[in-house]
Amino acid sequence: MGKCIVVLLFLLLGGNVAAQSTVEKGRYLAAAGDCVACHTATNGRPFIGGRPFHTPFGTLYSTNITPDKETGIGNYTLEDFAAAMRRGEGAHGNLYPAMPYTSYYLIADEDIASLYTYFMRLPAVEHVVPNNDLFFPANLRFGLSFWDWAFFDKAPLVQPEGKSPEWQRGNYLVNALGHCGECHTPRNFAFAMKRDEKFAGNILEGWDAVDIRAESLRRQGWDRAQLRLLFTTGASERGTAFGEMFSVVKHSLSRLSDDDINAIITYLLDGDDNVAVNGGDSQLAAQQYAQGRADFVAYCAGCHGREGSGVTPVFAPPMDRNAGVRAESPFNMIAVILRGLPAQRMNRTNARAGMPGFHRELDDARVAGLVNFMRSAWGGAETPVTQEKVAEIRHQLRKDDYLGVVE
Amino acid sequence: MAKIPVSMIVNGEKVGPLEVAEYTSMLDFLHEYLNLTGTKLGCGIGVCHACTIVVEGEDGALEPVRSCINNVGRFNGKVVTTVEGQAELDAAGEVVALSPVQQAFLRNFSFQCGWCTAGFVNGATALIDRLKRDPAPADKVEEVIGEALGEHICRCTGYVRYFRAVREVIESTPGLLKEAE
Repeated sequence: MGKCIVVLLFLLLGGNVAAQSTVEKGRYLAAAGDCVACHTATNGRPFIGGRPFHTPFGTLYSTNITPDKETGIGNYTLEDFAAAMRRGEGAHGNLYPAMPYTSYYLIADEDIASLYTYFMRLPAVEHVVPNNDLFFPANLRFGLSFWDWAFFDKAPLVQPEGKSPEWQRGNYLVNALGHCGECHTPRNFAFAMKRDEKFAGNILEGWDAVDIRAESLRRQGWDRAQLRLLFTTGASERGTAFGEMFSVVKHSLSRLSDDDINAIITYLLDGDDNVAVNGGDSQLAAQQYAQGRADFVAYCAGCHGREGSGVTPVFAPPMDRNAGVRAESPFNMIAVILRGLPAQRMNRTNARAGMPGFHRELDDARVAGLVNFMRSAWGGAETPVTQEKVAEIRHQLRKDDYLGVVE
Repeated sequence: MAKIPVSMIVNGEKVGPLEVAEYTSMLDFLHEYLNLTGTKLGCGIGVCHACTIVVEGEDGALEPVRSCINNVGRFNGKVVTTVEGQAELDAAGEVVALSPVQQAFLRNFSFQCGWCTAGFVNGATALIDRLKRDPAPADKVEEVIGEALGEHICRCTGYVRYFRAVREVIESTPGLLKEAE
């Protein structure tokens, strides 16, 4: 009898521990998938949805994914959950591809099960999100099955032989859970990812979700150490994460294990850590772009340092060898100068001050001069930026209402 | 160190041309070259806004600018006002009348140590100027003040009284508010 009780106790405890570890695994995977970023409104309770997404087709709202039976996903079976995650098929009809099922379809069964267990154990919150406000014909959900048929490419994850297990793990994290391509891959007219330009960069919300192909990352000066800093703290010697990427670091990347961060980096750099980070020629740049240099000294050097050396990565990162300065596309440099950056807090001990935008004070020619000076002095980019290019980006940002902020 | 020629109008007086080291911050320039020490250095990294001064844009609109993170070159050829230039002075340089913002801060005991005050005076003055050009809806006063001055840090925590003072000036000056939307 006594033995029986002990055995029973072990079984119960063991079962509970297993369930608990599945929940914890699910919590970790939910962080890796960054579910909270979209399914939470500004300052809202996590996972209850209601964050608006402004698209050319109207406004979408994320859904409540707590297990409330009326307003959340409380009635979902594991199969229902898997269908929503991997095929974009919700209980109420097809999901809009703002839900990244176009990446999540690669998530393994076991991970789907852990995620399901985690979400079903969350406190159920009764919360009705606003109705989507979409134009015809995007407001008709049955059209989405056509979209899925035309654009949802369910190709299995490419797992080349000869790559290390670490690389393969990174491959899975980046492509499936991390759904990095959803922002970093250009989209076609129907907002589907262009598979043949995977990770080539995409303009989103007035920022460039940069080209993250291995070759481009190396060109921008990213090595393992700097990428690790960026992913764990949001700031590095090569610059800071801003825009939506700040939130990705805050809610997702900074919560991943060292092993997984290493795997992601190995995959992104494709195992090649040889990054030759040569600067440009600041003497020559000063001669060539005198007004640009004068403007750097007057407007930028107060925080970004005399020779573009920066103060600290979090407060004012170096411009010398900055990834944005070294990037092929000048979009983010120009956008940051015009828009500025908001003050943001990563955690209790890591906050940044924000940067004023200069769109009211610097005209297109001066912004071009400033960008060309910096690229030439510290980036080594060959092609100068024209005044017309600045005008074009300024026009786009103004049209989309990103230039309202005063210093 | 390389020097640049600097000239501008500060508190109505022409300054320069002076040869100034190019990396001199505007704050240092005011202190060391013009002996205008009313502008205070707080954090030195553009966060606390104590060092805010006012610059006139090309259209005459006043803009608050932080003098600690901007070097003197940014102000070349510009029309600048510091806290010393806010009151009305007579020919002998004596104060005849404080500005409405300054009076309201005194009336409301807005500050204690006063380190942030120059920044608040200039920030609020720029806000009043903006409202003259572009009145705010009467029911949005709180948001407008918060948005314009919310970044100014006061370690004596005079916020409520600063807020009250600015609100008083806005609501008692004709033409700064329009009907609620």
